[in-house]
Amino acid sequence: MDTLSGEARLVERAKAQDEAAFEQIMNLYADRLYSYILRMVGNATDAEDLVQETFLRAYQGLPNFDGRASLGTWLYRIATNLCIDHQRRRARRVPTVSYSGQEDEDGEPAEWDFPDHQTPNPLQAVLNRELEAVVEDAIGKLSPKLRTVLLLYDVEELSYEEIARVLHIPIGTVKSRLNHARAQIQKAVAAYLEDAPAAVQARFAK
Amino acid sequence: MNCKRFERQIWAYLEGQLPDARAFEAHVGACPRCQRQLEAARATSRALRALPRHPAPENLAAQVRRRIAESPAYPRLGWARVWRRVALAPALGLLTIAAWWGWQAQQTNAPVNTAAEDPTESLVALHEQLEAADWAPSPTPSYFISTGYTR
Repeated sequence: MDTLSGEARLVERAKAQDEAAFEQIMNLYADRLYSYILRMVGNATDAEDLVQETFLRAYQGLPNFDGRASLGTWLYRIATNLCIDHQRRRARRVPTVSYSGQEDEDGEPAEWDFPDHQTPNPLQAVLNRELEAVVEDAIGKLSPKLRTVLLLYDVEELSYEEIARVLHIPIGTVKSRLNHARAQIQKAVAAYLEDAPAAVQARFAK
Repeated sequence: MNCKRFERQIWAYLEGQLPDARAFEAHVGACPRCQRQLEAARATSRALRALPRHPAPENLAAQVRRRIAESPAYPRLGWARVWRRVALAPALGLLTIAAWWGWQAQQTNAPVNTAAEDPTESLVALHEQLEAADWAPSPTPSYFISTGYTR
């Protein structure tokens, strides 16, 4: 609640041309939106451009932001629309869309430099990374519609209602897309666990 | 409980949204295939929630500021949009007044060559009067001048 009112104050200040307030909004949402967009479009260069575009549109649209949706919902909506437009444009050039993960300058998979918030057990950390790669790969293979809902709910942790507002679709559609998306990821994870040695399977069993 | 029903309930179970989980748990204890499905779903759920956040590029804010500065087509507070809205109403009002004034002026200037004493009495009389004004050789009826229409 306090965060919400804090955000509302930030928005009011940003509307009143307070550049520092808009900067704070960017700081609050930069990583969240960049992560989301990166998983949506699958490459760092496009993601960087699209996250800039998201904030530019937000800046330009701020005078018309009436606060009926939360700031986060509104920003995710802008980002989602930009990603969908981007995918449409790309689909016209390339017939298939697949997620290849982040790449460095040589086109090789880059080592992701994230703080390791997993368990300190090194084997578990390696297994988690393997599973993470399986899940990221499976997310990249989802259709854009399913990917959007899965990322917004399971990764970005928006509510059904918020996602319905972001995508302008009924809550029932959100739930059914989420079910389909999860079923596909689960299938990939099941196949990975199936092939893994018993010791690995035991690690992921309860 | 059969396997199909079990599969439909897996995610509700994992999210603690199954009102009565006894039949579900009884089935998982007896069906190795469904047990593997549950494990896969649990691993998926955990992995999704634990996916790392990718840090945004460090120069993001600077890049956004640069792009804002380079896009003069969108004024800061949408003044062009506000101005259009504010300016449109008086403009329409002025146009209406001008048209009315023009019509009134034309009423007094036009030669009255019809039997009707009061032109507002009937539409027919008004029509005839306008027709007469239109065919008058000079001067050009003020109605057309006021609307910018030249013949």
